[in-house]
Amino acid sequence: MRRMSVFPQHGTALGNLGRTANEIRQEAENSKNVLVSDLVNLSAGARFQAIRSLPMPFNERKTVRNRVNSVKLSKTILTADCRQQVSRSFRRFCASLASARQHLIIWQDTLKEIGSRFGTSVLSYFLFLKWLLQFNLFSLIINFCFITIPQIVHAPNISSTTGFRGLELLTGVGYFNQTVLFYGGYNGEVIVSKPAYNMQLAYFFTIAAYLVLCWVSLIYSMSRSFQKNFVLETGPVSGGAWRLLCSWDFSVVNEKAIQYNKNNLAIQLKESLSERLQEKNKMSLSDRIKHLSLHLLAWLLSLGLALGSCAGIYFLGTDPDLAFSFNHNPNDLRAEASTLLLPVVVSLINLIVPLLYSLISKIESYSNPRAKIYISIIRNVVLKMSVLGILCFYWLNFVPDNISCWETFVGQSVYRLLMIDFIFCLLGIFFGEFLRNVIGTMCIQSLGVPEFDIARNVLDLIYAQTLAWIGIYFSPLLPVMQVLKLFIIFYLKKISLSMNCQPPKHTGRAAQIQTVFIALLFFPSFVGVLSMVAYTVWSLKPSDQCGPFQGLDTPFQTIFHWTDSIQNFPESNWVWWIFENILRSELFYYLISLIVLVITYFLWQITQGRKQLIKTLREQIVNEGKDKAFLLNKLQNLQKERREIASYRPQDFDQTPHFNPNWTNTLPLNM
Amino acid sequence: MGNKQTIFTSQQLDAYQDCTYFTRKEILRRFHRYRDLAPQLVPLDYKNQPEVRLPYELIGSMPELKDNPFRQRIAEVFSEDGEGNMTLDDFLDMFSVLSEMAPRDLKAFYAFKIYDFNNDDFICKSDLEKTLNKLTRNELTEDEVRMVCEKVIDEADLDNDGRLSLEDFQNMIVRAPDFLSTFHIRI
Repeated sequence: MRRMSVFPQHGTALGNLGRTANEIRQEAENSKNVLVSDLVNLSAGARFQAIRSLPMPFNERKTVRNRVNSVKLSKTILTADCRQQVSRSFRRFCASLASARQHLIIWQDTLKEIGSRFGTSVLSYFLFLKWLLQFNLFSLIINFCFITIPQIVHAPNISSTTGFRGLELLTGVGYFNQTVLFYGGYNGEVIVSKPAYNMQLAYFFTIAAYLVLCWVSLIYSMSRSFQKNFVLETGPVSGGAWRLLCSWDFSVVNEKAIQYNKNNLAIQLKESLSERLQEKNKMSLSDRIKHLSLHLLAWLLSLGLALGSCAGIYFLGTDPDLAFSFNHNPNDLRAEASTLLLPVVVSLINLIVPLLYSLISKIESYSNPRAKIYISIIRNVVLKMSVLGILCFYWLNFVPDNISCWETFVGQSVYRLLMIDFIFCLLGIFFGEFLRNVIGTMCIQSLGVPEFDIARNVLDLIYAQTLAWIGIYFSPLLPVMQVLKLFIIFYLKKISLSMNCQPPKHTGRAAQIQTVFIALLFFPSFVGVLSMVAYTVWSLKPSDQCGPFQGLDTPFQTIFHWTDSIQNFPESNWVWWIFENILRSELFYYLISLIVLVITYFLWQITQGRKQLIKTLREQIVNEGKDKAFLLNKLQNLQKERREIASYRPQDFDQTPHFNPNWTNTLPLNM
Repeated sequence: MGNKQTIFTSQQLDAYQDCTYFTRKEILRRFHRYRDLAPQLVPLDYKNQPEVRLPYELIGSMPELKDNPFRQRIAEVFSEDGEGNMTLDDFLDMFSVLSEMAPRDLKAFYAFKIYDFNNDDFICKSDLEKTLNKLTRNELTEDEVRMVCEKVIDEADLDNDGRLSLEDFQNMIVRAPDFLSTFHIRI
């Protein structure tokens, strides 16, 4: 959309040179007329947006709007009234829809309050939480509607073998064993009703559709966030400039928070000034070797810790005494409690090892604080994903051979992990924030109030969400737990934030870190889950005694059976044809990859060309500035000369050309 | 939607709705906030467009603005008389630009005017120094203030005239994606 160029020109010396007040007013009138005619030619929607975004005082905007309306009115005299009424009422309807929608968005006011007290970077954590909640709610709804309700309505009579004891809520075994909470509670019959409802296909397709939707949604959010937040860093890398003028958070209205932000800004500016001075000192070779070896040592230690924890978890899981003792004695309370040992160990590792990581990072020295944040995020992600990876390996390789209804066992393990993780989160809020605040303010004053560590909290959320996604195939109603958990955590974190913590000090580049978190949610987390579920569905043999896929070689065979069955119907022959010849042939995938690569290459070339263009345009701006200064100078000198001449000999300063009647006298004498 | 309100005529409300980013309900709510600042000065009937102008002291005492270091500049930029005394139109305009629906160019324009203390359509070094003093509560020394302002002008001044024009400022805003969410006052 073309920008309305109504930004004021007065004030520039060139703009007002040699003009009278009348001429300036005339010019303003003219530009306004041009503006009105431009606006009249736009479509209705664009016109209203354009009027609203005019950078002029309110009264002038109203005058412009009235003039535009009267021009439109005069153009369409006959149907003016009717159409105007219709468009006006339509706009009112849209506005009321928008305000109604605002009421439906949950937590709208709470989020506003958090943003106004703690700033936008802390707000981004809560927005992330809300976004994850939406994923889980959606999954819950479709699983419940398409899989659970048919199963409940047409359930075979299964009498539970054990009564309900309290420990089930934590361990998920016993009473819950044969319920629809887990995979084992579903069976794969074709429900005989008016349109036959194939439970196997329903189970498969619901989970597949949900995962595909998550994929699309994550890629879309990631690309939008990347586009908005990672701008080209050509030209001078902004350090102090943007922080000063663009990052002051006007939305914070709490007095203490504002003082805090002021202090922060002063500290950050001082740091950036001292960085600038330090940049000039180059490090000597021995210093550089020392720093490098310290970095290497720190990385080795971190990776070693991660490997050690994974090995520990694997051995604990495969220990013959602990692992399956519960399955052998289902009524033993102690054995049931021992199933909780593995989740507790995993949560302890997730709690303690990041603290060790932050201790390790103290021995290193970083050139800039952003690198420190990113490296600590990478290490924590490596730890969490390797723990999850080893658990998946254990569940997919070791468990199917040793237990009869292994999918239910995996579902229960995931359930236990989520519950214990939730309990540890609660304990963490209590000890980590509340007690630490008490200690920091009353006992050891030097520690101070704890900071709200956004990176650690977001990584915890990502870890829990990965677990929930893993568990969806094995336990379709697991999102219930996740939804409840996210709800409770939202309110607890908000209360803890207001009572105990202070906002983080380094709030720079919050938008970029947001993008990194969404990318982390996609790349190791979702892609890992997808590959795990794909492997389970494609290659693993489902258990024989329970679940919707009993008796098949792999769950994917349901698709083959289905396409075989519809092969006989002439109307749906095309589905079978697509499946056989396109989806199952490798050539199709080669072609798609080739096309995607070619398009990527073209787009990359376009980016390179644009970067070059930006560089040239910047140089052009500099040159224009120099030209302007030169012309300004020249013009001012000319004006000064004119004024000087006029002040000495006003009678000679006569601009009108007059005809000299004695022009013949001016000819040379010897003609 | 029943138009049961008697404060504005229908045309007035339409004009407000077309020229700001608020819906009818929000306009009425903002009007009541405006009125709450001085109930004896602001009539409940705006159909005759009364000339009511609230002094800056009242505007600056609003909870959303009272601790903001730039409240005086904000009021001056949006007020008709340039002194901070605001009519209802100015008040609505101010919160409309500062709401989350205003586009980036509009916000950048007004942010530029707010930071331009001497109203010469350029942000020069003295403007930057005043901004810095308002933001850091005199924690930086004179030298540091000077160095920071020089650094800002170095980085952002594209046409090398020693001061920031609106285009320089907008170019800098483009590189700060947080600007839309930080230049925002909720009411």
